[in-house]
Amino acid sequence: MKIVHKIILANTFNILLIALTGFFAYQNLNLLLTKLRYVEIADDMNASFLEMRLSEKNYFLYKDASALKAIQAKLNESKTAMEYGRTDIVKAIGAQSYKQLESSTHAYLQVISSANVNAPAPEELQSRIREAGQKLREFSDHITKMERSNVNRIIADSRTGLFTSLVLILFSALGFSQLISRRILKSLTEIEKVAHAISEGTFTKVQTDLPADQDAVMTFLSRVRCFSFFMPNPSDELGSVMKAINSMSEELKKHEELIIQSKKLASIGILTAGVAHELGNPLNNISMMAQAYSELYDDLGREERLDYMSKIEEETERIREIVKNLLDFSKPKKPNRDEAQVNDVVQKSLKLVQNMISISNININICLADRLPQVYIDINQIQEVLINLITNAIQAATAGDELFIGTRSNADSDRVEIEVRDTGKGIPPEFLPHVFDPFFTTKEASGTGLGLFVSFGIIQNHQGSIRVQSELGVGTCFTIELPAYDKKETSDEWS
Amino acid sequence: MSGAKIIVIDDENIVGKMIKATFEKEGYHVETFLSAAPALARLKEESFDVIITDLKMKGIDGMEVLRIVKKEAPGTKVIMITAFASMDSAIEAVRGKVDDFFPKPFKIKDLKACVERLLAQ
Repeated sequence: MKIVHKIILANTFNILLIALTGFFAYQNLNLLLTKLRYVEIADDMNASFLEMRLSEKNYFLYKDASALKAIQAKLNESKTAMEYGRTDIVKAIGAQSYKQLESSTHAYLQVISSANVNAPAPEELQSRIREAGQKLREFSDHITKMERSNVNRIIADSRTGLFTSLVLILFSALGFSQLISRRILKSLTEIEKVAHAISEGTFTKVQTDLPADQDAVMTFLSRVRCFSFFMPNPSDELGSVMKAINSMSEELKKHEELIIQSKKLASIGILTAGVAHELGNPLNNISMMAQAYSELYDDLGREERLDYMSKIEEETERIREIVKNLLDFSKPKKPNRDEAQVNDVVQKSLKLVQNMISISNININICLADRLPQVYIDINQIQEVLINLITNAIQAATAGDELFIGTRSNADSDRVEIEVRDTGKGIPPEFLPHVFDPFFTTKEASGTGLGLFVSFGIIQNHQGSIRVQSELGVGTCFTIELPAYDKKETSDEWS
Repeated sequence: MSGAKIIVIDDENIVGKMIKATFEKEGYHVETFLSAAPALARLKEESFDVIITDLKMKGIDGMEVLRIVKKEAPGTKVIMITAFASMDSAIEAVRGKVDDFFPKPFKIKDLKACVERLLAQ
């Protein structure tokens, strides 16, 4: 079901609830009015019955014949009133009670009519009159009392009923909006996370079937079948958005691969030119020494000849080194991965460059975060990257500069970061985009321009990222990001 | 032509060394530099017949050396050598009126012949 349908449905439910409450309240009010009208009529009748009984007493005591007439008149009056208000009375006390009331009145009227106006009534008739009068009065009294208490009950019931429905409506409206907004927000957070990841260059996917919630309410709801209404549904609007984002992420990934491919081709161009130049120099040196050697053979002493040969050997070593680095890049060795702590790797790397640091006279500041998640890395390769970065930093720094090496994990603990920052001379902004290019170096003759190029490849092979920030005269900061080790994901990826 | 004075500028010190060793045997006077700035300073003190310079160098590069030398000492011949052996750089160098151009690796014999030819002009 789509979210808009869910909202419409929930609103309809709420409106229905309100309408129902209103309907019942109206019904109750009507009933109350009928009962009150009856009570009003009954009060009048009761007053008449009381008067009749008084006249009855007068008739018995003073043999006053006019009393009988008065009773008859009152009874007829009551009968007319009862007939006139029949519908209201029947509604209030029911047809049966009405009939009973009518028959009691009728019985009393009959007994009264049978009494002789001029002669005093015999004992037997007197007692019949008394009995009928009392019965009528008692019955009328009884139902009046009952109706009064009914009125009270209806009022009390309406009050609780209204209050309960109000609470129910409030809960339904608030609870529903809360659940729907929670579901929307949850999806939005998920989408936001992916968007953020995409902006950082990792093309992850939104999980369309969101995992069991951490919070108790959602966990409870997900277990109860009828509440699946509030659960994420892959076919609703957010589901479609997620699907769209996923396909976008996939497309971006594909395009990125294409871009990487074309970048790789471009790098091959740069690489070829670089290789030509880098190999050209030692080749030329060897060639020149060989030519000079032949030309000057007779003039050279034994030591000089050996010196020539060892220099040629040095130059071939230089070529070998370039070729080895090239091979390392073009055919990266399959990383030999292990679960490891980044902090240990940093410490190990630092030990290896300890000597260099102490000679260079720079201040080193290390800040390793506790409880970092494990990473799944080729320790030697990551160490190579770190040594590369540290060596670069040392070479960019002068005595008194500071070298900072820190580790930390991101908020979600799914990535670990290593930062290598120096307060050295910095990289000119026009060079910054090229630092990871092959054969790009700012070091005079001492750099091959392959260190960062190879490091970049290593970090990419680890599904990580490496970025650089630099400001001339302020310093340079390299940040490596590595994914935290997730046993579930990594198990078969490297087999 | 023996006695002619040559400056070699190349950040690869073997280049200078080998040119010096082979050329001095022929009677040339060769001074070598690893970068352009001290070479240009030396050129201000004394005149030289030929300058052999690398193209791609840190700081002042070969093209800049060519421009300065042609302006300050127009009589001095400039030979460019480079390991950056693409046609583009060769054309650019020639367009800048370089006297000759040698891609690395080159034959010392050819370089000598070139120097002799330039000095004979």
